[in-house]
Amino acid sequence: MKFVIQRDYLVRSVQDVMKAISSRTTIPILTGIKIVATEQGVTLTGSDSDISIESFIPVEEEDKVIVEILEPGSIVLPARFFGEIVKKLPKETVEIEVQNQFLTIIRSGKAEFNLNGLDAEEYPRLPQIEEENVFKIPTDLLKTIIRQTVFAVSTSETRPILTGVNWKVENNELICIATDSHRLALRKAKIETESEVFYNVVIPGKSLNELSKILDDTTELVDIVITENQILFKTKHLLFFSRLLEGNYPETSRLIPEDSKTDVIVNAKEFFQAIDRASLLAREGRNNVVKLSTLQDGVIEISSNSPEIGKVIEEIQSESVTGEELKISFSAKYMMEALKALEGTEIKISFTGAMRPFLIRPINDESMLQLILPVRTY
Amino acid sequence: MSIVWEQLEQYQPTVLKMIAKIVQKGRVAHAYLFEGQRGTGKKDVSILFAKSLFCINRNGYKPCNDCINCRRIDSGNHPDVHIIEPDGQSIKKAQIEALQAEFSKTGVESNKKLYIIEHADRMTVNAANSLLKFLEEPNSETVAILLTEQYHRMLNTIVSRCQVLSFKPLPPNAIADYLKEQHIPSHFALLAAYVTNNREHALELSRDDWFAQARKIVLQLYEALHKNYLQALFIVQEQWIQHFVEKQQIDLGLDLLLYLYKDLIYIQLGETEKVVYKDQISYLNQLALTLSQKRIAENMTAILQAKARLNTNMNPQLLMEQLVLKLQEGD
Repeated sequence: MKFVIQRDYLVRSVQDVMKAISSRTTIPILTGIKIVATEQGVTLTGSDSDISIESFIPVEEEDKVIVEILEPGSIVLPARFFGEIVKKLPKETVEIEVQNQFLTIIRSGKAEFNLNGLDAEEYPRLPQIEEENVFKIPTDLLKTIIRQTVFAVSTSETRPILTGVNWKVENNELICIATDSHRLALRKAKIETESEVFYNVVIPGKSLNELSKILDDTTELVDIVITENQILFKTKHLLFFSRLLEGNYPETSRLIPEDSKTDVIVNAKEFFQAIDRASLLAREGRNNVVKLSTLQDGVIEISSNSPEIGKVIEEIQSESVTGEELKISFSAKYMMEALKALEGTEIKISFTGAMRPFLIRPINDESMLQLILPVRTY
Repeated sequence: MSIVWEQLEQYQPTVLKMIAKIVQKGRVAHAYLFEGQRGTGKKDVSILFAKSLFCINRNGYKPCNDCINCRRIDSGNHPDVHIIEPDGQSIKKAQIEALQAEFSKTGVESNKKLYIIEHADRMTVNAANSLLKFLEEPNSETVAILLTEQYHRMLNTIVSRCQVLSFKPLPPNAIADYLKEQHIPSHFALLAAYVTNNREHALELSRDDWFAQARKIVLQLYEALHKNYLQALFIVQEQWIQHFVEKQQIDLGLDLLLYLYKDLIYIQLGETEKVVYKDQISYLNQLALTLSQKRIAENMTAILQAKARLNTNMNPQLLMEQLVLKLQEGD
């Protein structure tokens, strides 16, 4: 393998793929970056076996030559050193040449590095992409979806399936659900697809967080391909692969109550701030529980009581309260996280009794909802 | 270096025959326990088994050893084959948890996944219990191979969930004959053959200066034990402690000492062909006359106890001094 490349492009790509590389891996080859040079360009791959990031540098872009391929081939170079080396090379162009026994020479100006590489054949195979079963989402929407669901995944490994977000694709609609069995976040979105396919997969929450970090805030479309054991997100020059979680995601549709006994409509910001204040004292206590009660004339009272510290009571005026009177306790943390995830100024909270889960939704938006289980207090 | 099927077949014909059947008929159980003494080829067989399951160009039941999957299993780079070794003294719970996290996800390349746990008896109780939950609810195409030298130290609950394959020890004489063919002096050959059950390891040992020196020290200590007990303590202090540093080395040293007492018994029983220290036989003959069988048996018990204590983190020097005093009690 031999090619000459613009250093800037190489540095950017290396930084992108480095995000997938973990120093604590049990598989020796994954400490490296895989570099493949073909007639079309140079592909860099980094992986920690959970996620893999592939970055493609085309031979030319906008009539500007970026890479000159002298001889196609492939190599795996130790990421730790290669990353540092390319960052610090003196000149604008870099020449990379692989000689016998995977010895790689990196030249830039008068600087020359000899780096021992590994056989690229040993690198894990990423799934082949079938272009038919693609669906597309704008990048910014994808980031929002991730932000609105991934916080609710479980952090405990006792039920590994709950550490992921359930993605269902049917009827040109994507439904994302995350739950840790105390609360649930759901988000729906329209997708663009040409094929009528049905998917039901669970994507590790960690992978989605990583994905969200490497995506820019643009409106460009992201191609998403789901294969048997991996999911692929494809942007212009980046491919992001993630493994899926194995097992069946619990059926959650039954958890979401259809009807409600008490509906409260409040200003999201005011409500959030009141909860935040009430949790100041509750946080110190064991469970961070605040209490909500409905009073006369659409006034709601938020209170929390930690006997050893003190108590707080606050009344806020809601837009409307309809239905039965209610006293309910819930975790302030869950409520605040749910409110942060929702968009819109007005939110509607639908209760079905003090012991039943309740729903939080923005008004006039059916695409997202948050569900929280109350806390039993005496 | 990869070991091929034919080589292992000479060591463990029964086990390999079973594995061949398993692979041929595609009836892979979800967990296996490979049980047998050190050097009986458990790990080699487990790797071979993994290769048989993952090989792309499998020839009947034998892996090709040349395809990309076989090569990566050999180099430890296959993303769906995991090998867990004790981290220090034991296999920690965190290691099993990492494994569980790994296996809650789909495979990297295919849905077939395999893990090998070496020295499975060294799992902490916590680790073993976490693994148990995992063994109880196996995923469809996950295969576990547990390796152990001490079958009886495994939790019953784990053993009962695995298919157990026993690895038979090789007859030491067969190994000794092989070593003699490699121009190893016969007194070394036999000793090395008793110490390990693996031909390559035995060959390595008998070519190692450390081993020759170890043998010398053991003989010196033994001689001193029956002459002058102060001198024996000096040998422990000046030579033994310096030479046998690692736990495994001390274990081996104790084995060497044990074989000497075993030889005495053989001599007393008149079965001189079974003696390991053949070059020392005249000296041993003399001693055999002075010690009663009961005393020899007691001494052997003392050595075996010391070996057991070694695993419980006893200070090696105290351990040896205690042993020396015990061995001399009757004198």
